[in-house]
Amino acid sequence: MMEQKMGLEIHCQVTGTKSKLFCKCRCDYRGKAPNANTCPTCLGLPGTLPLLNQKAVEFAGMTSIALGCKVPDEIAFYRKNYFYPDLPKNFQLTQYNAYDITSIGVEGGLEYGDGKSVRIRRVQLEEDPGRLVYDGGNMETSVYALIDYNRAGVPLVEIVTEPDFVDPKEIRLFLDKITSIVEHLGLCGTKLEGSVRCDANVSVGGGKRVEIKNVGSFADVEKAVRYEITRQKTMTSRDLEVRSETRHWDDARKVTKESRTKEEEQDYRYFPEPDIPTVVLGSEFVSSAQRSMPELPDARKVRFVKHGLSAHVAQVLINNKELADFFESAIKFYSSPKEIANWIVTDLMSFVDERQKEQERSMFAGLKVGPEHIADLAKLVDQDTINRATAKQILGLIVRPGEMPSQVAHKTHAGKIDDVSELAQTIDSVFETEHAAVQDATLNPNAINFLLGKVMQATKGRADPKAALEMIQKKLKEV
Amino acid sequence: MPLYTLGAGQVAAGVKSREFSAEEYIQQLLERIEKVEPKVNAFVTINKGAIEHARTIDKKIRDGEQAGPLAGVAVSIKDNICTKGIRTTCASRMLESFVPPYDATVVTRLQDAGAIVIGKANLDEFAMGSTTEFSRYGTTRNPWDISRVPGGSSGGSAASVAAQECAASLGSDAGGSVRCPASFCSVVGMKPTYGLISRYGLVSYANSLEQVGPIGRTVSDVVSVLNAIAGADENDHTTVGGKPVYTLQERKGLRVGLVREFIEDTDPAVAKMILRAMDTLEGQGCKCKETSLESVAYALASYYTIATAEASSNLARYDNVRYGFDMSPEGYEWNSYFAKARSSFGEEAKRRIITGSYVLSSGYYGKYYLKAQQARSLLKDELKALFKSCDVLIGPTMPILPFKIGEKIDDPLKMYLVDIDTVIANLAGMPAISVPAGFVDGLPVGLQLMADEFQEQTILDAAYLFEQAANVRGSPEL
Amino acid sequence: MMVTKEQVKHLGWLARIELSDAELERYTEQIEGIVKYLDKLDAMPLQQVKPIATRKKFADLRPDEPAEFEGDALGTKYRKDGFVKGPRMA
Repeated sequence: MMEQKMGLEIHCQVTGTKSKLFCKCRCDYRGKAPNANTCPTCLGLPGTLPLLNQKAVEFAGMTSIALGCKVPDEIAFYRKNYFYPDLPKNFQLTQYNAYDITSIGVEGGLEYGDGKSVRIRRVQLEEDPGRLVYDGGNMETSVYALIDYNRAGVPLVEIVTEPDFVDPKEIRLFLDKITSIVEHLGLCGTKLEGSVRCDANVSVGGGKRVEIKNVGSFADVEKAVRYEITRQKTMTSRDLEVRSETRHWDDARKVTKESRTKEEEQDYRYFPEPDIPTVVLGSEFVSSAQRSMPELPDARKVRFVKHGLSAHVAQVLINNKELADFFESAIKFYSSPKEIANWIVTDLMSFVDERQKEQERSMFAGLKVGPEHIADLAKLVDQDTINRATAKQILGLIVRPGEMPSQVAHKTHAGKIDDVSELAQTIDSVFETEHAAVQDATLNPNAINFLLGKVMQATKGRADPKAALEMIQKKLKEV
Repeated sequence: MPLYTLGAGQVAAGVKSREFSAEEYIQQLLERIEKVEPKVNAFVTINKGAIEHARTIDKKIRDGEQAGPLAGVAVSIKDNICTKGIRTTCASRMLESFVPPYDATVVTRLQDAGAIVIGKANLDEFAMGSTTEFSRYGTTRNPWDISRVPGGSSGGSAASVAAQECAASLGSDAGGSVRCPASFCSVVGMKPTYGLISRYGLVSYANSLEQVGPIGRTVSDVVSVLNAIAGADENDHTTVGGKPVYTLQERKGLRVGLVREFIEDTDPAVAKMILRAMDTLEGQGCKCKETSLESVAYALASYYTIATAEASSNLARYDNVRYGFDMSPEGYEWNSYFAKARSSFGEEAKRRIITGSYVLSSGYYGKYYLKAQQARSLLKDELKALFKSCDVLIGPTMPILPFKIGEKIDDPLKMYLVDIDTVIANLAGMPAISVPAGFVDGLPVGLQLMADEFQEQTILDAAYLFEQAANVRGSPEL
Repeated sequence: MMVTKEQVKHLGWLARIELSDAELERYTEQIEGIVKYLDKLDAMPLQQVKPIATRKKFADLRPDEPAEFEGDALGTKYRKDGFVKGPRMA
């Protein structure tokens, strides 16, 4: 049996702070002209000093608490020394666990999926480097690289797990949970391009550990890990040695590739950053962070269940903060939690275009439906104005144009046929055209359903099936 | 008396009373600089805007506006302190064309006090050295004997003050870089408590050790400059406290400790001069005694471990991509570009970068860097204990007299050993000052005084007392 | 500690400094001398001693308020469309 073990290193950009980790430039660098979001400090100019952002420390602390980590009384920052063209100082300011000083969170644990759990090794705060692009986008032919430092210095919260995953499916579930947590904390807008990144490590059958870097989206981590497990198993079955190495995920070809630079040759020469004093968090830090911490997904789920939602539906909602927020807004318009939750989870979700969702990084990409629409729809159904089938049709009509369901129902006369004479007329005409079926039905009560179907068809579903059935039965007796 | 001979206080008073204009004063200084620079070579760059700046100060005074306590005073700035719009080279090819887009906090504060930046003073490349021989812009020569070194690394700062090319200067001191040249050039130079003065804009060499420090021809001038620059800065997380104000005051009955270890292994002529200095202090009513500081034994090893480690990392950013000298990146593979550009560092910088990389490399951190930081704690504790019975500790600033240019340049370890008495204050984060103690065969000797953290006033009191009593005066013939 | 030429060469690589053969020779000898001097530290009984450090309270850290830097902080003339031109990758 070749049991595999996997661990993750997740980088979440802190998008919830206004300024960068060590300077006053903005965290929101997206869409800005190259190098327009820089200053002497994040460009690593001589004489500049890092000025630690209090809010970023608070966010990292909250993340640590949310992941069940211990938060020490004092934290320090370290320099990780290595050269790279996107690294303005040619060292990265990060945290490191050594000599009695730890990162902001250590030795945590998180439950996810159905009763699974993973140990969290550490949570740390560090800075993002700049970005490299190539003229014409081609690394092979370009005689120079183009560098944009707008991103340099944006805070990152790194979450490192122990190698506790044994099934790649668990990774997806775990990442869903992490995504939901960091979204709920307001730490990271995970749908922003490049805001979450993940490295994975994989070892098969107690063999050498292989790191996979450069996985640009959470969706691909499971794929990368599956590929790597297969690769290692194939190697082993052919008596080839699996080397301890760092491989890169090739996003285009969906394979892991050997890295050109060997991680083993690096020597990061960590030492404490002299320009950032040891930060004394004190005992107040944790309690105050706990007090100001927003509701986390697990607590939110409990609250949803109290609203009468099933555990499953509540789970689907809290897995995605966007959905859960949508739900909470909708029930403010019209308080029918169960009805609204079901509309969101079973019906609205069927309209989500998966490709567009990935591209635009929103559950509701391309849909113009808001919480008020779903509330309106639920209300129409609750109040018996339209039946469920009609409601579904209306939902189909409004998801893209974004009209209000009640207006559509009115415009298309989709309301239930309350007028008995109108319904009677329809039944009359069905009896006229369906002679054979009428004969059948007088003998066989089950055949009545066929006639009912015809009536519903003729009224485009607007008839109240119960009323129609009664009228058909009555009319059959008259035949 | 020519205006260039005036001290900071006299200049400010003269300019404010309109006895002479700042412009006249600066003009005379520029002429003085033109005359003596061929001999001294204290400057890397002369500020072309100095005259213009002087005119704005004169106008302020004519208009009855506040011109500041240092109105019109010409100050040289060590060329590792950023000056907006004036290139800041660190005496290195790596920053040959670096023009900072911002001013260091100390420069802003000096200018707010009315001071004029006259030029950028020469130094050992990135402040690594004790002689100012390791400069891309040539060696600075000692104004008292131009065949000798002025000390370093703030050699240009001390020499420019001694040679009357400016009234005062800002240097930086990581292991003695203000005090060593102050001693060799017979001027007053102070290394304040770590955290008293902002390092924002000081190009880092050894962050946990260095401070910007004032240099002047008198204790009074040092006080004036210190008052302008001292105090916490929101741009430097390592600064502490508020905004102190220091005064010149007569103080009697100071308890003085002569550190035995500072006298041992010292040139006997220098040692004799320091013992005489102790007699002078005693004559002024100080209670003097001999004392011992055992930690001196490992101080230098601790200093060079930390300084080289921090330097190796600080200097990594000079890859010539964002700023530096003119070398096109096109066509180069990045590793070879970096390695080629960075081979432009000078001899001593390269040596320290590699030594620093060694002490930090895998497996050695606990053996060197960590031990060095632990040793600092021990040293600090020992000093704290001494300061219970002493207000100031004294000794020679330098264990030897200014030596010949080129004499020690090929033996790095021998060169490092001259810092033995100065590194103590940096390791402990405590203030120290060097004041002229006299001359041996026409060569200056400096007296070093140290005090406990944030006891700058005590040091200044003792230094002023000594200065008044010793009356070591005069300027070199140039 | 002994310092070898291979070590110095590797350190030169880590520091991205091109060293000539003569420099390598010279630095190896000099750095060995320096390191031998630094080895004094190893003889110190320091196990119980806390390393020196400066401290700052969480409350005194920089508040999260953004500000724009006025002016061009980049010195290089090698630029294109706002990007900085750097050497190419591998």
